[in-house]
Amino acid sequence: MVNALFIIIIGLGTAFLLGLLGNTRRNIAYVFMLFALTAMAWIAHSWLWIFTIDAHSRVDMFTAGTAPPFAINLRVGIVETVLVLLVIMSGLLSAVYMKDALLRLGYKSMSVLLVFVMALCGIILTRDVFNLFVFFELAVIATAGLLLLSDDKRALAAGFKYLIISQLVSMFLLLGIIFAYHATGTLNIDGMAEQSPEMLKGIGSLAFFFMFMAILTEAKPFPANGWALDIYESAHPGFSAMFSAGMAGAASVYAVDKLLLIGGQEWLPVVTVIGLLSFVAANLLALVQTNDRRTLGYSSIGQVGLILAVMGQQDILGEHYLFIAGGILLSHAVAKAGLYWISGLIQKRQLTDWSVLRGQPLLIFAFVSFIGMLSGLPPFPSFYAKWDLVMMLASVDRLWILGFILLGSLLEASYLFRWFGYILKRDIIKEDAQHLSLASYKLIVIFIAVVIAWGLAYLWGELSSYNNLLLAIPILFALSFLLLDFLPTWIKNTLAIAGMVAYFFIAYPSYNPLELIYAIIFLLGGAVILLASYYEKGRRVGFYPSAMLMFAGLTLLVMAENSFQFFAAWEFLTIGSYFLILRGKYSEPHALLYLIFSLAGAYLILSGFALAAQGMIPFSLESLSQVAQPIAPWVFLLLAIGFMTKTAVIGLHIWLPGAHAEAETDVSPMVSGILLKAGLFGLMILLMNMGKQQLYGVELTYIMLWLGALSAFLGNLMAVFQEDAKRLLAYSSIGQMGYALFGLALMNQLGWLMALMFVINHYIYKSMLFLSVGGVAKRTGTRQMYQMGGLIAMMPLSFIAVLIGIIAVSGVPPLSGFGGRWIFYNAIMASEYRLPMMLIFISGPIAFLYLFRLIHTIFLGQLKDEHRKIKEAPFWIILPQMIYVTALLAFAVVPGMALHRVDNYLNPFFAGQGLNWDGWTITSNYGYWSPVPIMIVIAVIFATLFMWLLFVNRKAQKVKQFNIVYSAERPYRPETTHFAWNFFAPYRKAMGFLIQPFVTRFWETFADLLHTLADIVRRFYTGNGQTYAVQLLAFIIVIYLFKVGY
Amino acid sequence: MVIIAMVTGFILILMGLYGALTNTNILRMIVSFSVANTGVNIVLVSVGYMHGRTAPILDNAVPLAEASTRIIDPVPQALVLTAIVIGLGITTLMLAYAYKLYETKGTLDISKFSELKW
Amino acid sequence: MQFEWIQIPYALLNLFIIINFGLLMNAFVAKIGARVGRRHGIPIYQNYLDLIKNYGLRSSITHGVMFYLGPVFRLSGGVGLLLFVPTIYGSDMFSNFSFSGDLILALYFIFFGTLGMALGAAESGHPHAAMGVSRGLSQVTMAELPLALAVFSIALQYQTLSVTEIVAAQQGGFLNWTLFTNPLAVAAAMLSFLGSVMRPPFDVVLAPQEIPIGPPTEYHSSYLALMQTNRVIYPIAKMVIFMSLFFGGATSWPVFFLKIFLIYMFAVFIGVVFPRFRVEQSIRWFLIWAVPLGILSVLLV
Repeated sequence: MVNALFIIIIGLGTAFLLGLLGNTRRNIAYVFMLFALTAMAWIAHSWLWIFTIDAHSRVDMFTAGTAPPFAINLRVGIVETVLVLLVIMSGLLSAVYMKDALLRLGYKSMSVLLVFVMALCGIILTRDVFNLFVFFELAVIATAGLLLLSDDKRALAAGFKYLIISQLVSMFLLLGIIFAYHATGTLNIDGMAEQSPEMLKGIGSLAFFFMFMAILTEAKPFPANGWALDIYESAHPGFSAMFSAGMAGAASVYAVDKLLLIGGQEWLPVVTVIGLLSFVAANLLALVQTNDRRTLGYSSIGQVGLILAVMGQQDILGEHYLFIAGGILLSHAVAKAGLYWISGLIQKRQLTDWSVLRGQPLLIFAFVSFIGMLSGLPPFPSFYAKWDLVMMLASVDRLWILGFILLGSLLEASYLFRWFGYILKRDIIKEDAQHLSLASYKLIVIFIAVVIAWGLAYLWGELSSYNNLLLAIPILFALSFLLLDFLPTWIKNTLAIAGMVAYFFIAYPSYNPLELIYAIIFLLGGAVILLASYYEKGRRVGFYPSAMLMFAGLTLLVMAENSFQFFAAWEFLTIGSYFLILRGKYSEPHALLYLIFSLAGAYLILSGFALAAQGMIPFSLESLSQVAQPIAPWVFLLLAIGFMTKTAVIGLHIWLPGAHAEAETDVSPMVSGILLKAGLFGLMILLMNMGKQQLYGVELTYIMLWLGALSAFLGNLMAVFQEDAKRLLAYSSIGQMGYALFGLALMNQLGWLMALMFVINHYIYKSMLFLSVGGVAKRTGTRQMYQMGGLIAMMPLSFIAVLIGIIAVSGVPPLSGFGGRWIFYNAIMASEYRLPMMLIFISGPIAFLYLFRLIHTIFLGQLKDEHRKIKEAPFWIILPQMIYVTALLAFAVVPGMALHRVDNYLNPFFAGQGLNWDGWTITSNYGYWSPVPIMIVIAVIFATLFMWLLFVNRKAQKVKQFNIVYSAERPYRPETTHFAWNFFAPYRKAMGFLIQPFVTRFWETFADLLHTLADIVRRFYTGNGQTYAVQLLAFIIVIYLFKVGY
Repeated sequence: MVIIAMVTGFILILMGLYGALTNTNILRMIVSFSVANTGVNIVLVSVGYMHGRTAPILDNAVPLAEASTRIIDPVPQALVLTAIVIGLGITTLMLAYAYKLYETKGTLDISKFSELKW
Repeated sequence: MQFEWIQIPYALLNLFIIINFGLLMNAFVAKIGARVGRRHGIPIYQNYLDLIKNYGLRSSITHGVMFYLGPVFRLSGGVGLLLFVPTIYGSDMFSNFSFSGDLILALYFIFFGTLGMALGAAESGHPHAAMGVSRGLSQVTMAELPLALAVFSIALQYQTLSVTEIVAAQQGGFLNWTLFTNPLAVAAAMLSFLGSVMRPPFDVVLAPQEIPIGPPTEYHSSYLALMQTNRVIYPIAKMVIFMSLFFGGATSWPVFFLKIFLIYMFAVFIGVVFPRFRVEQSIRWFLIWAVPLGILSVLLV
């Protein structure tokens, strides 16, 4: 092994030597610099090897041949090695990335870069406070130098602001150091730490405070960080990458960590509070940013804040501390560096200008990987870290911290994914797209970061105490489509269908009857919908990885045994479906809304699990039943709200209509017919294990009952007034999910059967209807129903599908919807709650209104002139519909096929109040129902009457469209004759007051408030360097007062 | 003596800070910071000073055996030396920046350099 | 109860009786209406003539498949509704196909014909038909609600969903009728009944003045004949349910005829006294008067 001092020596030495080359041989100097950085990286790497493979313990290196306190010592351990490697790698990659700028400015800039990297390494390695000061000052000077690499003239001002701040910092640091030395007689950090109890009294505590605040300032805590934002905004993106990953992410943070050795327990809360404040505030302020690099700056500050908060928890994290802090730190560093590097490819600085990336799938993949990493999504290290962190926090009741961390994460994900939406959906200005500078060396740097990101994901998976998510077969299957994305659609589609079907049959034996129903819907059902995707031509870039990711998540969800697996699966399906929804032409805002709501829900689920587990690892889902009393209802509440976000219960539903309506033709059925069931599955798991819970004497399932009823009622009512066919179906889904929720909340066996009936039925008919309507919309080019009409003759198969669909949805016998209604009535007979049922009663008939409207305004009535030559929907869109028609008929005749086994399976949970399935007739305690005779009786009557009509009216001839009895006038045009727009005007007059968009307005106001707040607070950063200095002083004083007042 | 030095040092620091935070002229700010830095250095030295002892130079006047009782602690002095050097570096850099800033806008008013904000 | 082939001729016989009864009763009611208005009125056999005439007409045009099937749906709905409910309590001959399902089947099957007819009418492309449907659906969603609540109320009361068992529970004196054991439910249901018989004040769906006869506007000849047949059967089928649930059912045909007639007269009586509501007015009316009764009946039972 090479002495780690050589890292410093090489850096410093080369920096000086470059001077010998002068500016005439700057190319050679550049090579030398890269060589030096590589050598440094190699040394760090060799240490990494020693610590990981050989499991060596840490090594101290002494300068001047003596031990501290008489000389400075450097320490290399696993943490130092990783951080140093991180710093050097970010330096090396940025050096490659900034080739043009470095060569333009000559050898001096290269020297400064080396000094910068060297200084950061020094900060990490040294154990001496004064040495720390020196390295920090070197870093400041180097920063001020490297800022000049930027093309942005404003970087100059930013540099000066930084110098002002660093003057203050160095003053505090020096004063602190000297008094600390006075109090302890040593400059060695470990030496001070040993004397920490005595030192933190009297003058020594002030000394520590000074040192600590000085170092902390370098970690850019809110609100004393305006200068840092200005640097991030104006510096060369290559430098910002180093500054964010190396300086802020690694060096400053680690320096704080070292000082905490001295501060000990007493100072942990301070770090926590400052960190949390920075995390939440920075992410809040980032909401209103439009400049890309400044946004990244805010995000960077937030992430560092999060790491600080984690540091404040080291007293409880124990051996997980490194895993958690490291996971977040490395995720932040890699992702932020990567994003800054990408920002360097783009000419303009608005977030929306990033749309020029759209033609570059690889860069989009890189972007997605990075923001996924920042948001803590699986399979990245931050996900594992956040999971562990939340588990630990909940187990010791630090719930406020947990809450703030999740809040900040949600805010961060919101603006990051909003940004992603811009990339995929905003207009591209042609000249900008041409100016996208895709120099290969820059791209290589970015893709190295991507590789590192995924490598870390794998590594953290291996290190975690759970399964490595990247090794789960469904996930691998989904990710493999990333590599196959160059293939034509039909091959990928075949692969996808084959994979899903095959996986179902492989996993078949492991499902219990309940899981089996979901597995059939998720896997086989998904495969049926995918048949429609054969219609798409070309390559359909990005569709299959997203879709398969969603299905992988769904598959894993059914198989999940413990809370971690469940939550990871949940996140996977959320991300996958978000990408899918985002593919719709106008779905940018809706997809974002979906993601935000889903993530918020997911965080609630996460906290619920954490609260339930109380540190138990792994926490199996069955253990939910053993959660102890005072917290059990809270766990229930959190999980239930989380799941109900997915089922779009009223109040949390506003994401659904847009997301489902704007999605592509074959995506709508996936996200509606299939995805919504994930929430129900979660609710079933929850209710099955936790049963009824009471909170302050209120039965929580009773509240769910009301929510289900309200959703059913309002969802249906809102569907009545939609003009857009797909929105109508989307609102109808809210209603249908309300029914299912209601059934579950009844907490009796029949209620559950009814919910399952809805699960199956809703999958079939909603998928079918979305496909039909999607096919129609494809042909007519509109989704506004009143613009259609009379399409029955042109699209008979679509019509049949819709007809069967609406009969099934409305619950009219003989189709399967009736079974759901019948079980429903029997279920409520057994329940003592009557009031919420009234709402369900009201909502039933309302469904007729929108269903009739759907079929009438599209297929019946007057055909429009422009649609006279329209063709039936494409074969591949019709095919699954016909499969569904068959399935609906089959399910109507033999519902027992699917439900009988589940009924038996549910028996033990509800003490056997199930149905009797003997023979043709299904009987309950109250009534009976024979699907087959119903079908036969109706069919015979219908057929007989039909024959009779045929007999008496055998010569009927089709007449022309306008051949109608029209009150002595002549219809003028189809448009004026087709009674369609605002079809239920009288109904709106009578009931419209119920559907004022209160919920939408509530959330809009909420979002507005957040944005306004952010916009006001950020004006705090006036841009004046002097103000920043005042703020820093004030910040230090406030912290002091708080600390003293503590 | 120590007290006087220390008080002087702190007064200088406060004066410097006051100057740096109230003067909008960049050059005046730099000067103020220099004043404050001087104050810091004085404080540093005064902390290390021990009454009645001699400079930490090992020569004939101070034999090695008695050094630990007769000389003052050399560490603060070493620190001060380093701090002065670094302070000089920073001050120089600030001055260079001031020059550059003046070139871009023709003014030295710090409040005029606030395009980067919010 | 199981299916036996003999039930088919029984059911047909039942249907035959009901049709004749219906035709006569409708004419009788029309005659009463006319006499109240000091007119002579139609002959008592007039409906037979109309029906035969319409079946005999051969003007055979169609606007499309759904248009053609609409009346078939409509009549299937009526006949089916009749046959899914036992007509005469205690009679194997006239308990029809009630083994297929219970009360819930009957309640939901009511919509079968409505939906089919609405679809057929809509395909005609006539705006009046669509308007009529729009009005009809709007009104019926609210009008059916009190009935549903009342049905739920009495299902709770008798702890069963089987029509036969509900009738059985009401035997042994008229004080055992639901009318007296659960008056709130009956009140709600009877108000609801007003909304579904297409008589004033709730006949805006057919509104002969503005949208000549509403949904069936385009229907004529044998289509119309089918619908006329249904107009005979359907109200009776529905009243059979009312009778069974609320008024003790019928153990013999004479009792059946009497009870059905009286129930129908209730709607007729209200109809001749009150003027017509607009749709939103009738919705509000049901919401304000009938629905709370239903809710109360469910809560109090």
